[in-house]
Amino acid sequence: MCNETPRRYTSPSNAAECYLLRVENPPVEQFEDDAALAQRIAQAGPGRARKAEAELCRRLAPRVRLYGLKHLRDAHAAADLMQQVLLMTIEKLRAGELRDTARVASFVFGICRMTVLELRRGGFRREQLLERYAEDLAPAAAAPEPTVDLDRVAGCLEKLPQRERSVLLMTFYEDRPADEVGALLGLSAGNVRVIRHRGLARLRECVGQGESGT
Amino acid sequence: MNGTPCRAPLEERALVEYWLGELGEADEARLDEHLLGCAHCSARLGELVALAGGIRDAFRQGALQVFVSDAFVKRLAAQGVRLREYRVPRNGSVNCTVTPEDELLVSRLEAPLADVSRVDIVVHPPGLPAEVRQDVPFDPARGEVLFTPNLAQLRAMPSHRLRLELIAVDDAGERLIGEYTFNHTA
Repeated sequence: MCNETPRRYTSPSNAAECYLLRVENPPVEQFEDDAALAQRIAQAGPGRARKAEAELCRRLAPRVRLYGLKHLRDAHAAADLMQQVLLMTIEKLRAGELRDTARVASFVFGICRMTVLELRRGGFRREQLLERYAEDLAPAAAAPEPTVDLDRVAGCLEKLPQRERSVLLMTFYEDRPADEVGALLGLSAGNVRVIRHRGLARLRECVGQGESGT
Repeated sequence: MNGTPCRAPLEERALVEYWLGELGEADEARLDEHLLGCAHCSARLGELVALAGGIRDAFRQGALQVFVSDAFVKRLAAQGVRLREYRVPRNGSVNCTVTPEDELLVSRLEAPLADVSRVDIVVHPPGLPAEVRQDVPFDPARGEVLFTPNLAQLRAMPSHRLRLELIAVDDAGERLIGEYTFNHTA
């Protein structure tokens, strides 16, 4: 019995065909690193390593989304970037464009940078790529994002010293760097960094205690 | 990389500085690449971003009492946040309220703060022991202390009178700068 059946072989009729499918499309091991997955995709040929493609997309999705949030500062734009980058990564891996699969992070970084530029210019071929690879993106789109208990965060912020609370709010309300927050509060950038670091550590500890039920 | 521990985990401080755009171009690119290849550090950054979102959302929901600056309040107003402001002169009082439409309440306490290095506030809530807020941010040039009360708590309270004392603290000790009374109508 074949465990993994590409669509075009809906009912393998003999053992030889099953064997061929296993060789071309072996099960993905969770402990495989990104480079191994990339190598598997590159070597298998177009569409022959769907599980490896899905697993790589699942891993890369949250990282690329964060890259998008960092550089585009917009959740919808970050989601667009994530989709676009994953589609292009799979396409380029299938086409054998990554020679050294150990450099997959660098490869994805290059695609991210290029896609951010394209997104800012307002033109990419998203629909065309989606049509071809939408299936591979399904697990990536379902990847959960970290969440926090809002009441817990508010309660923990109220326990912080006033200055730490003010610095954290004025920093993270709009993700402002230390020099800008310092200018708002009459503090040096260095002082803001110290207060910010201390406040974040306390906040994290308090929120963490709530999550562990203590 | 799933199951592969990070060989060079990024420091917490570096993650925060990266997220806030405080790094130079080369360092930022180095972290970009590391984070795209590292599930461990990327997950830590994801937690930081979620926590930052929690801070933002808690404030937007009016669930925080926090001292802020005039410039910060002006930015919120420019973004369309529905603000209700009360300015209280030194040793003065104000009649105040909060409506369902208000997204944020801002209280401005006027005081001579030019030579002050630290300000504490003593809060006298009705029927409860006094509480001290130590070392609050203030604006010596504008002569103001600005704070946003916890709206959720305020909305749940009946009409009441709240008295505050502004205290200057330095090596010589403490001195009262001014008293402020809020006559709140529910």
